[in-house]
Amino acid sequence: MENREKLKKLVEDVFLLQPGEFRFDLRREEVETWDSFGVVSLAVGIQEVFGHHLTPAEAGGIKSIGDVIDILSTKGFNFDH
Amino acid sequence: MTIEFPPIWSLDQLRERATGRVVVWATPSVRERLATHLPWPIAETTQAVPDTAEWLVTVGGGGLIDEAKAARERRPGLKLVAIPSIWGSGAEASPIIVLSCAGRKDIRVNPAALPDAIVYWPELAKSVPPEQQRAACGDCWAHALEGFLSPLASPELRNELSQVIRRLLTLPLSFDPQWFELSALACAGQSQAGVGLVHGVAHTLEAPLRRQQPERKWHHARLCSTFLEPVMRLNQAASGKWSHLLAEYGLPENEIWISLRALFEPDFYRNALPVLRQEWRAVLRDPCSRTNSVLVRPDWLERFENLPCHEQPVN
Repeated sequence: MENREKLKKLVEDVFLLQPGEFRFDLRREEVETWDSFGVVSLAVGIQEVFGHHLTPAEAGGIKSIGDVIDILSTKGFNFDH
Repeated sequence: MTIEFPPIWSLDQLRERATGRVVVWATPSVRERLATHLPWPIAETTQAVPDTAEWLVTVGGGGLIDEAKAARERRPGLKLVAIPSIWGSGAEASPIIVLSCAGRKDIRVNPAALPDAIVYWPELAKSVPPEQQRAACGDCWAHALEGFLSPLASPELRNELSQVIRRLLTLPLSFDPQWFELSALACAGQSQAGVGLVHGVAHTLEAPLRRQQPERKWHHARLCSTFLEPVMRLNQAASGKWSHLLAEYGLPENEIWISLRALFEPDFYRNALPVLRQEWRAVLRDPCSRTNSVLVRPDWLERFENLPCHEQPVN
């Protein structure tokens, strides 16, 4: 599974999104379940799927899916089509 | 020490120090016994604490102690002493308050609500039925393991909880006075890191199970006891974190599985599964589920249903 698909599946599972709700430009304020517990869950999921342990600063700074992609891109993950 | 909790008094110290107007809340099963040991009248627990009261002494399980912590929240000057009548919840040692409101669990954290002192009176628990004692052990185990595995636990906290787990392995799943201290340590420890899916399931399923299966007398500790092994099996299968952390802190994995198996109640598990299916979406949304050590995915419901814990050999 390519990284974009992995990330989409992860975000859908973490935030309990309904089919069609996921977008790569999704922002935190648009997702009801993206609260502090969601941040923990997202960090756990990123470690499981991508093997990257988010620092508290990284986790706290994530405001959008784009931010997740930016962080993981710096670790060598490619999210191009 | 990372894990701290209120000072422990003896009954004599309580009788000496609680001066002025004292209100006692007590669970019905211990009221008669209290009357011969405490010099204060026992109030109805549903009554508000009078404005003139200076002390609230609460004797009961975790639910009653949490209600007393909430009463202290409303009356900051009120001094609170907690005497747990059974081990397991560790509510006397934790700033977390869990209240049942219209079938839902209202959970909040308030260090100011912690009791001023704890009195341990282990004899009160001797007459508790064996199956309830075993479930209380499961509640304590769930706090210790979920706190230890929590993604929010620091290395220091994990180290201390690993020592708690080592001591738990030496205890019978029945009355032993050490359960009180270890329950307090486990609960105060997990309060610094959070718990996980065992508690997400327990908090969500308790009300519907009580409503749908009143004859089974579901309660929090029984749910923790019943779901502890299944959740840990799923955690282990989904991630290497379980085995890695146990090894890192020198915990004996096989001995832990044997204890979890001894706590597991297959008949209760089978009866809970249909309600787990009904409530699965709510379980996933529960804050505890969302701080589980491993990401809980929607498809885990099928894994719960296909997990033959009662048939599976211990590793």
